[in-house]
This record gives sequence, structure tokens and C-alpha cells, in this order.
Amino acid sequence: MSKVSQTAFGQDSRIVLNIYMVIFFSYMFLPLILMVAAGFNDFDTPSVTVWRGFTLKWFDVLAQDTRMWSGLINSFIIAVAVIAVSLPLGLAGALLVARLDSRYNTLIYGVMVSPLLMPGIILGISTLIFWREAGVSGGLFTAAIAQASYISSYTMLMFMARLERQDITLEEAAQDLGASHIQVFKRITLPFLKPTILTASVIAFLQSFENYNTTIFSIGGSHTLVTEIGSRMRFGLTPAVNVIGIIFVAITIICAALYVVFREREKVRTAALK
Amino acid sequence: MSRLLRSFGPHLTSLILLLSGVWVIGMIIGPQLIMVEQSFWYTDRGGDAVVITVQIDAHYNDIDVLAFDKMDAEDLAPSPERDAKIAEIDATIAEKRVIIAELETREVIPKKVYSLRNYTIMGGSHLAIFIKTILASVAVTLIAFVVCYPMAYTVAKLATPNRAAIIMLGLIIPYAINELLRVFAWLMILNYNGVANFLLGLIGVEPIAFLESGTGVFIAMVYAYILFMVFPIYNTVETLDTSQIEAARDLGAPTWQIHRRIVLPHAKPGIAVGCIMTFMLSAGSYAVPYIMTRGTAEPWFTQLIYNKFFESLNWNTGSAYAFTLLVACVIFVFLMMRMFKVGIKDIAK
Repeated sequence: MSKVSQTAFGQDSRIVLNIYMVIFFSYMFLPLILMVAAGFNDFDTPSVTVWRGFTLKWFDVLAQDTRMWSGLINSFIIAVAVIAVSLPLGLAGALLVARLDSRYNTLIYGVMVSPLLMPGIILGISTLIFWREAGVSGGLFTAAIAQASYISSYTMLMFMARLERQDITLEEAAQDLGASHIQVFKRITLPFLKPTILTASVIAFLQSFENYNTTIFSIGGSHTLVTEIGSRMRFGLTPAVNVIGIIFVAITIICAALYVVFREREKVRTAALK
Repeated sequence: MSRLLRSFGPHLTSLILLLSGVWVIGMIIGPQLIMVEQSFWYTDRGGDAVVITVQIDAHYNDIDVLAFDKMDAEDLAPSPERDAKIAEIDATIAEKRVIIAELETREVIPKKVYSLRNYTIMGGSHLAIFIKTILASVAVTLIAFVVCYPMAYTVAKLATPNRAAIIMLGLIIPYAINELLRVFAWLMILNYNGVANFLLGLIGVEPIAFLESGTGVFIAMVYAYILFMVFPIYNTVETLDTSQIEAARDLGAPTWQIHRRIVLPHAKPGIAVGCIMTFMLSAGSYAVPYIMTRGTAEPWFTQLIYNKFFESLNWNTGSAYAFTLLVACVIFVFLMMRMFKVGIKDIAK
């Protein structure tokens, strides 16, 4: 690989590439750094151009914000519901598409992934309308269902990727030896899928927690942490919002670092196995 | 079906079919169909329905006023006049109630009329906003591709493993931070007394109203969705066998030829996914325009949809607008699949 980097680019293009990298990452990170800095500014509106000294008081302000706390609780409730719905649905969809020999296979698959290809607000709206017909108005329930309709597509794709690597002869052998279908599923298929169940839960949780566009259209009068942040940004902006930014940035950096470390380790391990 | 049965037996197979059905029909197709159905009718309450409603309201107001008069009368000292007055007020109220009851029977149950009215109602200004939204989203997509392709290629093929890991970290962090917070960072920069105008002021330029002109929405939109282009392209370029690039170079191909003939064709599915995601997120974004216009700049199409649903409470027209947006996105998806010659299975991975 290092050989390519030497041959593919001369000295000049190397400099151009480095300049491009510096600009790109400044563009990506400077706005976030400004946002973080304003959270420590002792000034009533989020700003870095008017600097009134370092303070931690906005952390206190945020801690006493009851709507943010109730939003956080709602976000957790929805996320747990989404995991509970989207894992079984995604798994069922993956098993169906993986094992159904039918000419409608591609069509079914297409419909199952279609929520990923359409705007989130459409999912929110259509769920809201659908459940209004059944007499259920917008709230945490419709928000969870709307989110689950597309998060199930994610879990399905993850389960499918795992199922593709499954050694089907194991299941067949177990059946030949007299195991019932349910036993085979419990003892062979599910344990094989276990790592995916874990990662799919994490992804489903994060997707649900972070979602804004689908949620705002389907949640009715309730709010989640993220929709509350959204309305604060438009009305009544205080540096407490920046403090949320600081917390999100900190959590994201920790998680991303862990993810990259694990990924690299996994790469090294698979390379060693080869 | 037989293979499904053979693998899972009757019980599990029914469960799989049931859950898949609930999802596909109850959560994807059903809601979409009902939304589309809603978009094709409106409630007709007859020509003078509004007049009748106003009349009813007026009579109810009169009754309220009369009730106050009655209370005043009751406070008076007992006398025949007082009793007469109260009786008169009661009679008027009773009379009004009869009129209201009669009017309310005429305020018939609204009629459901199927028509294209919800679509034709859009009008020039809303159509212009729709077109602007689509064009701006295409522009965001193009910018994202131009900026992200070199980055994806660098991480996948040029950087040493350690450096690639660090760059990857640098990409994942801003990607994973909530959309709203990323937009908020740009709100601070582009605000009238934000960082951008502060810097412009240092070199003597008058402050620019980024948010009011709608430029702010576009700038923040590029920033918010640009990284959705990097990862799909990176994933496909990474699977390209590096020896192909080396062979081309050894045979004397210039850099742009290598990209045109080898890397780009190989990256097609990734580019298609990146374009679809970026376009779809931009065209369907509610968060970015909501925060970046603060109600002063021209709205994004999604904001019109939101207003139809939650401000003017016209769900039928709202559904028509939403379906219009959905159709635009579906057309874009098929266009990309055609252009890059990829199937649905290549796209959703």
C-alpha cells in the first residue's frame, strides 16, 4: 500500500492532498470547536465573539431544566420500544428474504429497504395518518412505530449480512439427527446471530435516540430530548444548548475512538488468520 | 416457500410470515397507501358551510352575553320588573338555542370529495419552493461528491493503515454528532452577530444577513449531509484490488485516466448510494431549514408540509405535498440506479 502512495502521487500532488486534508478537517471541526467553546462562555447568548470569561454555570442551568430531563426519559422509552420492535421484525424479514425461493424475492426485499430510501418526514406523516384512522393520535407510541418502520430495515440488513456467512449444513445436520425446527433455531441459528443481535440493538438505539425528522412529524404534543433541543434552537436559545453539544461531542468522541480501535483490532486479527 | 418450511417448520414459518407481514403491510405499505388516498380527497362542507358556522358562533356569543345580563338582573332587588326581565332573557336564550339547533342540522356532515384539488392547490409560489428545494438538494449532492470522492479514495487507497485509522476517526466523529448540533454550530457562525460577520468586520466588510437570505440553509445543509457521501464511496473503493491501479500506472496511465477507467467504475454502487442518501436527506430535511431560517427566509418544501399538517391542519393537502416529495425522491432513486447501472440489492447494503 505504501508503494502505491509513493507511485500514485508525486511530490506536488502530495502537497495538494495534504492541503485538502487540512481544509477538509478544519471545515469539519472548527464549527464544533466554536460550539463547545461557547458553552463555557459566561454570556447569556451562545457566542464566542463576545467573551465574558470561563464558566461552568450553564451545566447547572441544564441540570435544572426539567423539560430536557423529561425529553431524555421519553427518548429512552422510545428507543427501548424501537429495539423491541425492530429486532424481531428485522430478523423475520432477513430470514424470509434469505430462505424464500420466490420470484417476488427482490420485490419483497425492495419494499423492506424502501424506508431507508425515503425521507424520514414521510415515514412520520404516514404513520401519524395511519394510526389516526385507528383512533390513535400522535405521541410516543406513533413516534416509536414510525422510527421502527425504517430502523427495522437497518436491523434486517445487518441480519442478512450475518446470515450470508452462515454454514447451512449445521442446521441440516441437526435436523437429520432428529432435532425439531424450534430446537435448531434456538440452539444453532440464534446463537450464530447473537453478535448481530447485540450490534443491531446498539444501532437501533442510536438511530432512535438521534432521530429528529421522523419524530417531529409523528410525536404529536410530546417531546424527546432531540425535538426539545430543536425547539430551543429556534426559540429561547441559551448556552445550555451548547452544554448539550459538549456532552454529545464528548460521548461521540469516546464511542468513535472505541469503534475505530475495535475495528483495527478486528482487521489485524482477520489478517493474521489469513 | 418450501425451503422456508423445510428450514423452520410450520410454527416458525408462520411467525416469520406474520412479523414480516406486520412490518411490510402494517408499517410500510399500509401507511403509505392511506397517505396517498388522503391526498386525493377533501372534505366539502357545502358552499355556505362557513357562513353557517359563523352564524352559529355568533348566536353562541349572544347567549354568553345574555347570561351575563341575566346575572346582573338577578343581583337587583326582587321586584316584578326584575322577574319580567329574567323571564325575557330566558325566553331569548331559548329562542337562540332553537335557532342554533336548526343551523347545526344544516351544518351537514362534511362530504368526502375525490379530486386532484390538493395537488392543483399548490400554486406558483409553492411550486417554486418545491423546485428550489429539489435543485438545491441536487447542488448539495454534487458538492458533496466533489468534496468527498478524494477523501474516500485517500482513506481507502493512499493512507498508511495507521493514518487511515486516524482519518477515519476524524470522519466518524462529526458524522455521528447529532444533526441538530452540527446545524447549530453553523447558526452560531452565520448569525447576524456571529463569527462570520465578526471576521468580515475585521476586514471592514458590512455584516451580511446569511440567515434571512436562505444562504445559511444551504451552507448548513452541505455541512450536515456531506459525510453521508464519504462512507458509501469508501466502502466500495476499499474493495478495489490495488494491483489494478498499480498495473494501470505501470502501463503509463495518467492519474485522471486511472480514476475514470478503474476507480470510478468500481465505485459506482457506492456513488449511487452516496448520491441517494445526500439528496434524500437534503430534500427531506426539516431540521436544517427549521433552525437556519428562523422563520425569516423563504421556507424549504418540508416546512410547507409541516405547516399544512400542524398549522393549517389540512391533512389532505399536507398528504398531497408529502406524496409529491416522495415521488421526487423515488424518481431520483431510479435515476441514480439507471445512471450507475446498479440494482436495489447493490444499493442497500
